[in-house]
Amino acid sequence: MIERDDAIAYITKLERDLQAAHSRIAALEREAALQARYARDLDRRLAALLSVSAALLISHDIDSIIQLVVQQAVDLFPGTAAAHIYLFEHEPDGRLRLRASAPDHAPAPTFPILAEMAAKAPRALLLNGPELEYVIHQQNSAHSPAINDCLWPQSVLLAPLRIEQQRLGALVICGEQLSHLYHPRDLPFVQALADLTVIAIDEVQQRQRAAALHRDLVHTQSLRAEAEARLNAAQAQLLQSAKLAAVGELSASVAHEINNPLYAARNSLYLVEQDLPPDAPQRTFLTIAQQELGRIARIITRMRDFYRPSRGELTSANINALLRETLELVTTHLRHNHVTVRTRLANDLPPIVAHADQLRQVFLNVILNACDAMPSGGELTVSSELIAARPGAPATLAISITDTGVGIAPEHIPHLFEPFYTTKPHGTGLGLAISAHIVTQHGGRITVDSQPGVGTTFTILLPLEAPATAS
Amino acid sequence: MAAYRIQIYDDDPTAALVTQRGLQALLGDEVIVQATTNANEAWLACANGNVDLLIVDPSPYGAAAALIRAVRTYRPYLPILALTAYDTPGLRARMQALGVELYAAKPIELRELVPLVSQALHQVA
Repeated sequence: MIERDDAIAYITKLERDLQAAHSRIAALEREAALQARYARDLDRRLAALLSVSAALLISHDIDSIIQLVVQQAVDLFPGTAAAHIYLFEHEPDGRLRLRASAPDHAPAPTFPILAEMAAKAPRALLLNGPELEYVIHQQNSAHSPAINDCLWPQSVLLAPLRIEQQRLGALVICGEQLSHLYHPRDLPFVQALADLTVIAIDEVQQRQRAAALHRDLVHTQSLRAEAEARLNAAQAQLLQSAKLAAVGELSASVAHEINNPLYAARNSLYLVEQDLPPDAPQRTFLTIAQQELGRIARIITRMRDFYRPSRGELTSANINALLRETLELVTTHLRHNHVTVRTRLANDLPPIVAHADQLRQVFLNVILNACDAMPSGGELTVSSELIAARPGAPATLAISITDTGVGIAPEHIPHLFEPFYTTKPHGTGLGLAISAHIVTQHGGRITVDSQPGVGTTFTILLPLEAPATAS
Repeated sequence: MAAYRIQIYDDDPTAALVTQRGLQALLGDEVIVQATTNANEAWLACANGNVDLLIVDPSPYGAAAALIRAVRTYRPYLPILALTAYDTPGLRARMQALGVELYAAKPIELRELVPLVSQALHQVA
């Protein structure tokens, strides 16, 4: 009997043990299932992070990067109602501004407070329930009372977006209302997501900075090339001026030395002529000699003028009036040469401080040259306008004199303004040299643009404010 | 009526001769024209008081400025004509400062010079 009781007790114990083993197995199975779920979860998150990182590296603008991040955040953390990214404007002391949301709707008023907190945090934070409520109340002192009227999330994940010491913004992820709580094990993932985002943003910013630097460099190089070109032009002009001045001084001294003998020769012939009967055959050659001496006298006078271009007073001159006067002077000459004149003079040109006689001489020289360039007639266009070469540069008057003549061969162009350089059989080679000298004395420039067979344009540029040296 | 006396000082002898002969020929008996290349001689003629117009060539090599100053001291109202081959604004100003009221630049033609001379002489009269 005892044996039977023992056996029953043993069986009962075995049954208890079996039951315990069963429940243990069930517990282990549950644990295993849980671990497997965690593993799958981790695996899914890892895959998601990898795909985010791959996508981030090929994104080229910040907006698409952060848009991608907020979308991925919603997928990465199950139970997420919304994810937002806030970025500082321009500098770390600037205001935080919402830059991306998923899903795409405006965040509750509590979010800017959370974003500010996240941006200042050293690393990712998890706030749940009462803790979250407490934090919001504490931070809210400076914010609107409106937040008390809205529903708050029960759980949020916050992560700063920062690289080295630089704060860029914050990532704010919130769980669905009343239902979901995040877990501390989510923290490494949200931190990883934030870090990935920052690296991608930083990469884009570095690229943008590099591109800006490159643009600056190109711009600087072009400015430098421009400055060099201007310097070269100025040097060439200086050299030309120095050449002109040297030649001018030489001309002036030669002119003065020639005046006495010229005076004697010319007037001796005049005295001889006075004594000749009106029908004397010698008169022909006498006249020729006198005419030629007259020509020498004119050349000498021009050479002398070259040396002292500042004759006359500086006055306030009206360029259009000077041009009209000059055209009136040569009307007959132009008509004889079948040249028609067109004028395009700008209205309301401001007056210019200048030597009016000298400018008239310049216009006359250029107009007569234009006429000479049209032996079988043509059209002469005289125009004036007010221009500003560069913003901020002093205003300049531009006077253009255009002919439809034979044009100037390219090989002559560099020498046009050199004294004694002439292509005309009876030219002195001084007209344009003197003109250039006069214009330079007024602080201006004279340029030429010519196309053989089409015509030539001389442009005279005069600054409105004459330099001090013109006096 | 006595002839006007014109004294010419020019350190270029040919120019002096042409001016003298030209004015004499063109103005005729109305004038007696004398020329010299010597400033002292010109000054003596003016100082003696028998000159109605002094024509001076103020060349950089001559003694024109000294002559003009000396003449102005003795004959403050004697008209002086500067006839120069070295015309510059500076010279023109210097002549004005010395009290020379008439000014002509070579190579002026005699037929342009004669009216200037006549005008100066008739102002004296």
